Amino acid sequence: MNLKTIFSKSGPSPAKNADSGFQKSWAVWFLAAIHLVVLLAGFIAPYSFETQARLYPYAPPTRVHFIDCQGKFHLRPFVYVTKIGENNPTEYTQDCSQAAGIQFFVRGDQYTLLGIFHSNLHLFGVDPAAGLFLMGTDGFGRDQFSRLLYGGQVSLFAGLIAAALSVIVGLFLGAIAGMYGGWIDDGAMRFAEIFIAVPWFYLLIAVRAFLPLQISPVTAFVLVVCVIGVVGWGRPARLVRGVVLSARERNFVLAARGFGASNSYLLRRHLMPLTFRVLLTQMTVLIPQFILAEVILSFLGLGIGEPFPSWGNMLANAQQYHVLVSYWWMLLPGLAPIPVFLAWHSLAEKLQERVKSNI
Amino acid sequence: MIRYILRRLANGILMLFGISLLLFILLQAAPGDYLSDLRLNAQISPETVAGLRAQYGLDQPLPVRYWNWVRSAAKGDFGYSFAYNGPASTLLWPRARNTLLLSVPAMLLSWLIAVPLGVLVAGSKWRWVDRLFSASTSTLLALPDVLIALLALLIALKTGLFPVGGMSSLGGDQQSSWASLRDLAWHMVLPVGALVLGLLAMILRHVRAGVAEVLDSTYMRAAEGHGLPRMKLLFRYALPAAANPLISLFGLSIALLLSGSLLIEVVMSWPGMGPLLLESILSRDLFVVIGAVLLSAVFLILGNLLGDILLYAFDPRIRNVVPSRAQRGNPIPKRDLEVRP
Amino acid sequence: MTSGDLGLAKSKTEPLFRVSALNVEYDAAGGDVVHALRGVDLEIAPGEAVGVLGESGSGKSSLALALMRLLPRNARLTSGSIEHRGAALDKFTDRQLRQMRGGEVALISQEPALALNPVLTLGTQLQDVLKAHTSLDRAQLESRCNEVLSKMGFEDPERILRAYPHQLSGGQRQRVAIAQALVCRPQLLIADEPLSSLDAATQAEIVDVLQRLRSEFGLAMLFITHNAGVLWSLADQVIVLREGEVLARGPIDDLQRSADPYVQSLLFPEKSVVAAQQTADAAAQPLLEVRNLSKSFIQRHFFSRKKFVVQSLESVDLVLQPGTTTAVLGRSGSGKSTLARCIAGFETPDAGEILLQGREQRSGARPSAGFAREWQEKTTRAVQMIFQDAATSLNPRFTARQIVAEPLEIALWKTESERAERALALMHEVGLDPASAARLAGEFSGGQRQRLALARALAAEPKLLIMDEALSGLDVPLQAQMVRLLMELQERHGLTYLYISHDLNFISLFAQTVVVMDSGRIVERLTPSQLARSQNPATLALVEAGERLHAPGVEAAV
Repeated sequence: MNLKTIFSKSGPSPAKNADSGFQKSWAVWFLAAIHLVVLLAGFIAPYSFETQARLYPYAPPTRVHFIDCQGKFHLRPFVYVTKIGENNPTEYTQDCSQAAGIQFFVRGDQYTLLGIFHSNLHLFGVDPAAGLFLMGTDGFGRDQFSRLLYGGQVSLFAGLIAAALSVIVGLFLGAIAGMYGGWIDDGAMRFAEIFIAVPWFYLLIAVRAFLPLQISPVTAFVLVVCVIGVVGWGRPARLVRGVVLSARERNFVLAARGFGASNSYLLRRHLMPLTFRVLLTQMTVLIPQFILAEVILSFLGLGIGEPFPSWGNMLANAQQYHVLVSYWWMLLPGLAPIPVFLAWHSLAEKLQERVKSNI
Repeated sequence: MIRYILRRLANGILMLFGISLLLFILLQAAPGDYLSDLRLNAQISPETVAGLRAQYGLDQPLPVRYWNWVRSAAKGDFGYSFAYNGPASTLLWPRARNTLLLSVPAMLLSWLIAVPLGVLVAGSKWRWVDRLFSASTSTLLALPDVLIALLALLIALKTGLFPVGGMSSLGGDQQSSWASLRDLAWHMVLPVGALVLGLLAMILRHVRAGVAEVLDSTYMRAAEGHGLPRMKLLFRYALPAAANPLISLFGLSIALLLSGSLLIEVVMSWPGMGPLLLESILSRDLFVVIGAVLLSAVFLILGNLLGDILLYAFDPRIRNVVPSRAQRGNPIPKRDLEVRP
Repeated sequence: MTSGDLGLAKSKTEPLFRVSALNVEYDAAGGDVVHALRGVDLEIAPGEAVGVLGESGSGKSSLALALMRLLPRNARLTSGSIEHRGAALDKFTDRQLRQMRGGEVALISQEPALALNPVLTLGTQLQDVLKAHTSLDRAQLESRCNEVLSKMGFEDPERILRAYPHQLSGGQRQRVAIAQALVCRPQLLIADEPLSSLDAATQAEIVDVLQRLRSEFGLAMLFITHNAGVLWSLADQVIVLREGEVLARGPIDDLQRSADPYVQSLLFPEKSVVAAQQTADAAAQPLLEVRNLSKSFIQRHFFSRKKFVVQSLESVDLVLQPGTTTAVLGRSGSGKSTLARCIAGFETPDAGEILLQGREQRSGARPSAGFAREWQEKTTRAVQMIFQDAATSLNPRFTARQIVAEPLEIALWKTESERAERALALMHEVGLDPASAARLAGEFSGGQRQRLALARALAAEPKLLIMDEALSGLDVPLQAQMVRLLMELQERHGLTYLYISHDLNFISLFAQTVVVMDSGRIVERLTPSQLARSQNPATLALVEAGERLHAPGVEAAV
């Protein structure tokens, strides 16, 4: 126990409890859950992302009831069929005479899970005569809730993969630069500085827009991920280089040299573990940034295109004044990233605490 | 010192060369240019297009084009905008000015609020202040910029208190200068507010974290032990000692002056650099794109340089000698003493 | 030297502090509760100097902080009371506290470098203390600051006032910190280990200053330390703290007759060390020969191109006989660390040669190509180094066993389990509990970490062990233990030691040869018994400092 532990003004620092605290962190569980949910989007969502309910454009979220119009309680949740107004096709009311119970494990639209499993089994759904639009529909009558889940696949994983890409490229180049120094170091860092010097976002847009705009969603996804990842490699590289450079001079590395250690031993045993911890923290900071990057790119029309949803292009609709004012549910995709970001931020903080208390 | 600045500026210019070259190459690799859309138009003959191409110099090989551009850029002429039919520079400067009209007040406002507030929160002895601060800044930070922009638009539409977009109302030229100033300010409120919301949370966190860390150090305890009054301790002793990372952050704020407001400008139809960049990218208006990106790169370089200069001016330690190799790798930690109580 | 000697009338007023049955507890990480102080009684009369003697963990710092009501948030006063001039301290309002702190009672702490705000000038910091307690005008403020600085022995106070902390040396900083504490002329100075991070000569200077302050102003003092030597000349009363309890109290002359072995070990740490053999077998082939070694460093100013050359070593010759201990002494900056690093191979000398058992190991004439490649030679493992700061010489993420076994692992010695066994055996040999082999390096105390570093060095089966200020960061009683251990190991394994230090602690008991360095050169070579008779100024300064500080073992030499 040293002075720092006892005298810390903000109270006891995590220290020994850090490892157990990590598992108990709500953020890890939440993120794991949410990523699982969006991966299983096909199964969990009642509809496919392109299914259009032509009769119900801009329908508000369907209300789920347990008590019917007569005041009777039902165990199974149900919805009422939405009636279209006679004079105004966009006026929706509930038809108390027609109820449809929510069924579980129903058959519905076809989908593919992870590109391998084909199925049409959905977690829940209703009779096709009624509509179960938990978050309303958009201008084409597409269920926003389902699209949110599918869109989550794009936005969440784009951020994750892009961050991993940045970090891997950065790790490789940064480690080489730090280890060998000299002109390799200078050259690599100058190159990295260009990427850091240009306003990140401008470069992103520029790079993305210079590539073909009309491409398939899959290609677009890969492209977006690559672009975001490559543009962002500068900071991790500099970080890794810094760690390696200072670690080289640490007394325990010198001592190891004194025992006859080779460069590869030093890298493997001492330097890389040090960088991993720093990079892990860096990743938790980068991921939310990159998710946001994808959302903004898609919002501006430079990311994933129709019909495949991304939280960004779903929000693009809301730029139209009449949509923004009258159809509030169209903003929900904007709220979706909030808990995700909170989770990543919380993780990042915890990791930073650990790194600080251990050095 | 002067030599350092000059060296950094030289470095910066090299950087600009690098960036412009990178962009040129990217554009070369991109399929099509401004005129390729015209080619699709059946009414325009291929000869006309070829002629236009030659006129704009688009048929020259890359190195030649790049060199031509560099030469004219040195004279302040950033090339020609195909879309707007005029020199790119006359397009860029007013747009840059408009962007600055938003970002500078936003930046100043954010810093002026965040610094005193952050210091006070760091110095507060009550737990609840800390928790409230943590919760509110976390939430603000987690709000996506897109959402903030759309919400600003929504407020304008729903309440009618503020204009929905644009920079000036109709018939603006007929107004007196005082009235047009008021009109401008009225249009600025929402976009600046949205920008401040985004910046504030981040700066607040950094300020608080930096000051809180300093408050734990031995010299702050010693100063408290000498009976110095609380406000003095916080603002005269703790804040300057915590200033280093904040000054770097300030430099970064300046660096992002041109590029940070892109989204807000697009959503609220503010005629700044953002919408211009977007347009010109989509229409492959080469020189405007390069000009815009370079301009913001200039700001970034200057911002970082300013940050370093301010660091030098404010922190006496930086002016010292560089530590030895042994010291650099092994910063003696706060004497990991076994001096327990 | 009691207050009676000073001619002060015995004060009729209340004692400055009266501590009764004080209990202080801390909430540490992991939910443990640490009892820092248990039932401590203490009184400090005006003009009296009280010493608090104890090892780390004895609670001495908590006592100091409690008197100032500066205990951190996770500390609690569970019972007992503290009175300041008859008034209960815990009833003080914020204003009264602020008045007391700096105005009537002042605290100086162990790290002078850390006690001064690095971004404000010293003048500002001095004046702020004055402004907080007095209402002097600008001219008066300046003159007071000048006055107190010249009392501290500064010849050019104006320059100091305009300077920043990092522009001063460690000793100067500590003197300014003392000046800051005294500028409002308090009645009591609480000094919490004010000397630990300074070299011996500087320590002696500070002790002089404090003695002067006592005699000139009748300043009362609470002097907290682990090094009893200082208290001989400074304290009227001494209390000995052990794990939060007062073990003994009284004038130091009385305490030395105490029968308690712990008190004895604190007052006379050198008694536990049996003096080494003084004879050296000169006929044997020398283990290490250093010829004409030179090394300089170029330091560049951050912003300008100005470079200046620091000549760290100049034409240094040295011969080490096997099985002996050679001590290299000198002030900070004398080049002793550079010498150690060159011998260990961490720096390449500019000129000269280093021969290990007759074979050339490193030569300055031929610039070494691949640093790592050279180290593959078997001879290089024969020289191992123990660094000053154990915290940085061990990878904090490694377990104890991994650390000790590392040399074996690098050499791919035998099998994994045999390596683990050997590591445990080595740990046992240096006095560490093998059961703690799975703990992370960061969880050990400083003394234990040095033992780990020692065990690791031994795993490489070295012939020469260089200790670069390896013991300077430890409490004096702990140093005694380590010296005993080192001597045991030397005998058992036939090791040769090169012991680098800035102070004389235990040197005379431990070393056969002493080499004194100053400004990059060796200025004198002698045996410990010759130290006292030396005429060389550098040596004299070290010896005098040692005497003033009653460095353990110095009497044996003198």
